[in-house]
Amino acid sequence: MLGHDRVGLGWRPELAAGILADLDRVDLVEVIADDYVGAGRGALRALRTLAIQVPLVLHGISLGLASAAPVDGRRLDALARVVGAVEPQGWSEHLAFVRGGGLDLGHLAAPPRRQATLEGLVANLARARASVGSVPALENVATLIDPPGSDRDEPAWLADAVAATGGELLLDLHNLHANAVNFGFDAHAALARLPLACVRFVHLAGGAWIGAAGGERRVLDDHRHDVPAPVFDLLAELAARAPNPLAVIVERDGDYPPIEHLLAELDRARVALAGGRARVAA
Amino acid sequence: MSASLEAYLARLYLDADARHAFAADPRGTASRAGLDAGDVAALEQVDRVGLELAARSLQARRATGPRRNWLARLLARWCLR
Repeated sequence: MLGHDRVGLGWRPELAAGILADLDRVDLVEVIADDYVGAGRGALRALRTLAIQVPLVLHGISLGLASAAPVDGRRLDALARVVGAVEPQGWSEHLAFVRGGGLDLGHLAAPPRRQATLEGLVANLARARASVGSVPALENVATLIDPPGSDRDEPAWLADAVAATGGELLLDLHNLHANAVNFGFDAHAALARLPLACVRFVHLAGGAWIGAAGGERRVLDDHRHDVPAPVFDLLAELAARAPNPLAVIVERDGDYPPIEHLLAELDRARVALAGGRARVAA
Repeated sequence: MSASLEAYLARLYLDADARHAFAADPRGTASRAGLDAGDVAALEQVDRVGLELAARSLQARRATGPRRNWLARLLARWCLR
């Protein structure tokens, strides 16, 4: 195996001081690219400075690449400016749509998992390559609704997306866990069906139960809670099966605990990775 | 066409009136929106609990506004000096 696994944190302003004070325990950071779209040269220079201090990857949240509709060229060009200025080690986006019919959802929505969406994704990635100069690693999304109009399950959808685009996968293990809980499939069995040789990045996060009017509950991927044990179990399983080095990011977007608490989650991820890799070596 | 289905879903997620009309008559409202027969059939079988929760979640995220505020950005930049 070339290289080694790395574990880091999502860069958030609320965590910045803690990350910078503990860079010896943070292998890399992931910055939300959209926060720097339209930013001035000073802000981009500051981000480039951070990228020199610590390995940095950019993460997009609003392109809506997994759509039968064309991606907004202006958004792509704006993102290209950020990528060009920062020179990250990689960038990623979601397998989601974020707008439709002139409406902006303001967040990610799972698209219909079917051929038309796949063809739209391929076309949108070609546009991304033309604008940015590279294609993003593609992230699986959490969903509270079984996407209407789908003709395949999530593992088949992810495998098809990677096969059609030749890209890399950012595997969000909490998203996989939440979807498995919400829709009654086995996350470990789903993991085994994914193209794990294409996984380069991993997200870990936490969520919470929310309830519908009728009393049924589902897991919301809210990034405001600790990474649950089943997600670390999935990370160990992934490490046992994935042949390439993994860059693992713990995401937190609210209810921020002390930085030491998050650093302990990074350590727990390292233990899970080491455990999985040891299973391969044994 | 898939793009039209995405547009229709976006409306269902964001517009409570559209959601109520859909709940009362899924086939009729989806057909009148111009969706093809396959998508209309898919929407007749829609995961209604998921629709309610997805709509609520998206509206809550929109209500909280942009992910970052100017003060947080300033803090980040200050930390980088």
